[in-house]
Amino acid sequence: MSAGGGGGGAHAAIPQNNIIAFGVVGGLVGIYAAYFLVDMVGPYMSFLGALGAICGIVWGAAAVRRVANYGLGTGVPSIGMLALGIGIIAATFGLAVGGIAGPVVALVFAALIGLVVGILANKVLNMGIPIMVQSMTEIAAAGAITIVGLSTSMIGTFMFFDEVVNGVVVTQGVASGVMTTGYIAVIFIAGGLAILHPYNANLGPDEKQDRTLACAFEKGAIAMIIAGIVATITPFASGSLTILIGVAIWYISFSGFYKRVKRDAFKVTGTGLLPSKEELE
Amino acid sequence: MIDIVGIIAADFLNIILITLGGILIALGVHLVPVGGAPAAMAQATGVGTGTVQLAAGAGLTGLVTAGFMMNVTDSLGLILASGTVGAMIMISVTMLVGQWMYVYGVGCPPASAKVKYDPITKDRQDLYVSQGTEGHGIPTASFISGVIGAGLGGLGGSLIYFSLLSIENGLPEADFIGIASIFAIGLFFVNAVIPSYNIGGTIEGFHDPKFKRFPKAVLASFVATFLAAIMGVVAIGGM
Repeated sequence: MSAGGGGGGAHAAIPQNNIIAFGVVGGLVGIYAAYFLVDMVGPYMSFLGALGAICGIVWGAAAVRRVANYGLGTGVPSIGMLALGIGIIAATFGLAVGGIAGPVVALVFAALIGLVVGILANKVLNMGIPIMVQSMTEIAAAGAITIVGLSTSMIGTFMFFDEVVNGVVVTQGVASGVMTTGYIAVIFIAGGLAILHPYNANLGPDEKQDRTLACAFEKGAIAMIIAGIVATITPFASGSLTILIGVAIWYISFSGFYKRVKRDAFKVTGTGLLPSKEELE
Repeated sequence: MIDIVGIIAADFLNIILITLGGILIALGVHLVPVGGAPAAMAQATGVGTGTVQLAAGAGLTGLVTAGFMMNVTDSLGLILASGTVGAMIMISVTMLVGQWMYVYGVGCPPASAKVKYDPITKDRQDLYVSQGTEGHGIPTASFISGVIGAGLGGLGGSLIYFSLLSIENGLPEADFIGIASIFAIGLFFVNAVIPSYNIGGTIEGFHDPKFKRFPKAVLASFVATFLAAIMGVVAIGGM
């Protein structure tokens, strides 16, 4: 009908390879730009990490859309939780051993575990979804990018350990800034929902790729706003710019989503409020 | 640079225990009566939500109770028992309140559509199954199966948590506990989703024919957890 691209199989207006490139390149560029610019320009540049996370979220939601279209049998949320579960294992490992290459190591190892789980799902559990292996790899890697990106925007760095000079903490690391404080749980749920919810909310015979992805941008913006709220109370990142840009992205993407809902719906009518007790009598 | 081989050799027992914990979780998920969306409309036996939510709810409670016991003792037995009982209590409460909803709210008797007689109470089931449904509510066999399943899940979760906290490293204690617990949660989600793909989303308990598929999930969970366990031990042991 329109440029939206239909559901069913792997039909899409935007080819998946472009979305993979968008997720990997956009995600890593955002995370590294946040890391270097926070040092060079100022803590308010930490918002770039959340932009990287949005790239990861959109990529993850597009991959969920493709694989869940085949019917997982368990509902879409399970695959989003799996993505963040693998992502957290790989992100802890990658950031702890990788140093400056941490996000890349996390991405590679998340993809590795995702690949293994995808092969197990098809060969051992006999799920028989042809794109399971590729999609699981993508979803796990997107989960890792989301976690690292949101962590970076919360504390301004992806280094795992605190940098201590003469007994004074000059930079807070992910271990003490995000994991010990428990903000990782916020990332887990906000990031996981952003990856699993777009397809879960839009699925059905009239599901369109661009509507689902507009919803993914919108959910990513909510995760960005939450990361900004956390950043306002952490010492080495500044949250106001993150919140402002997050609200702007949310407004634009929600308008885009609502426009596409109106385009795809047969008819949109207002029902008004429920009648009050007096009116019913 | 981290001495990866040295850490793996030194903590090999912990890797084995973490893998065992993952397998216990995968096995436990097969015993929990998961009804999914149909059960939410009282059209299938079990609790009306997905495997991941049920297993995670019970398993994370197990982690909390195990962590609480860790405050007061170092004894492995007590910590594992605390995690197991915590998860069992959580799933029992969930199933009991769900049962009230089905019986007093929806107004249907608990009945299984997979077996003719309840394997524990020997009560007739098929007469009470409404037409067009796959059973409803949580019959006795499913309830007991769910309690056992949550116990296995809690045992596995606390075993993972305890093994991660046994790794030698140079981290401050607060950071260490934070990393170990989030790592255990990540492993829990992976091991809750893999078996839920195996059972195709819904299962009634040990009397369900789908339960016989569990060796496949145990194998899949073994491979995935072993890989993740090596990464976790290297990451935490290298700090």
